[in-house]
Amino acid sequence: MVVHRTVVVTNPAGLHARPSAAIAQAVRRLRAKVEIRNRNEVVDAGNILEIMTLGAAQGAELQVTAKGPDAELALDAVIAEMAKRYE
Amino acid sequence: MLQRMELVDLKLVPSENGEGNVYVYINPSEEERKYLVDALKLDEHTLSSALDPDEQARLEFEPEHTAIILKRPRNYSSEDRFVFRIASAGLFLFADKLIVVLGDNVPLFLGKQFLRIASLQDLALKMIYSSTAHFLEHLKIINMVSDALEEQINTSMHNKYLLNLFSLEKSLVYYLNGLSSNSRLIERVKHNAAKMGIGGESLEFLDDMAIENGQCYEQAEIYSNILASMMDARVSIVSNNLNWLMKTLNIITIAIMLPTLVVSIFSMNVSFPGKDHPGMFWIIMGLALVSVVLVRTVWWWKKW
Repeated sequence: MVVHRTVVVTNPAGLHARPSAAIAQAVRRLRAKVEIRNRNEVVDAGNILEIMTLGAAQGAELQVTAKGPDAELALDAVIAEMAKRYE
Repeated sequence: MLQRMELVDLKLVPSENGEGNVYVYINPSEEERKYLVDALKLDEHTLSSALDPDEQARLEFEPEHTAIILKRPRNYSSEDRFVFRIASAGLFLFADKLIVVLGDNVPLFLGKQFLRIASLQDLALKMIYSSTAHFLEHLKIINMVSDALEEQINTSMHNKYLLNLFSLEKSLVYYLNGLSSNSRLIERVKHNAAKMGIGGESLEFLDDMAIENGQCYEQAEIYSNILASMMDARVSIVSNNLNWLMKTLNIITIAIMLPTLVVSIFSMNVSFPGKDHPGMFWIIMGLALVSVVLVRTVWWWKKW
């Protein structure tokens, strides 16, 4: 099962350390391979090192793709973490 | 940029009438800075300290207000290349208002500690506490990143992961400095609580803040010590991985070299015994194969 969704980064500081860590943790708990695309760069959402180098600033349009049995759940989890507001 | 907020029924809400008693200045413009210095009598140096990441946390008493400079972690961006930096923030506590000065635009007043705010003093304390909580969250992330880098180093021959670990080590030094600076600030606030109008529950909260900050400092210190002590071992792992690659390449080179030598000897443009033998090609191939087996046997016997 493959699902895609586009999401816009709303946090003023962009996709910074805490959301990156939360996304990686959420994805690792599920049976899905999730990729996040920012323009030409694609990273594995389960790898904190890769997410932290994505450089997604506020307003960036990210394409999230999930594959696997928990694809839908993983996509929801990633988008929920991206929407969370951090100080 | 100025955000006006007010305390209504123990909650902080955006000011509707444009007045409010909590003013948040984010990277104030020249005009805003002039207003703060001239009209509100903020000390120019203290105001600059609130925007300078290298300033130490401190508490200063002015005739009309109390100035608090605190350290907080700066939000990480991908350009930081695994260096977690710290920033300063200024809280200027007047009898009837609180002015917050920050260098960058970050959402403030989030988290459960801001659900109930008794007074402006309480709000100022909760902002210091929120900074400790922010440090703590970043420490957990530094630990996660360090684990992920370690996994990469175990199989890598590149320096970049080691350099990233050095960046984390540097970040922890910044964090230790920021946390120890905040610790001194909390101690000073505790000693001057009565002068600042802090009492009752807020005094207990101050004790909790000191403990939390102390624990956070200890955690940062432990992470820093672990990273520093394991760095040499990780450098050796990368070097060893590279050695293994060189060894494999050497085996391939030597294994090819000997049969090449055998074939080249028989390729010389001179007369050699048995050159007209019909099976000479296969004899040469056989000798080349024997040379490969010979190399393999010596390699195995010498336990290289």
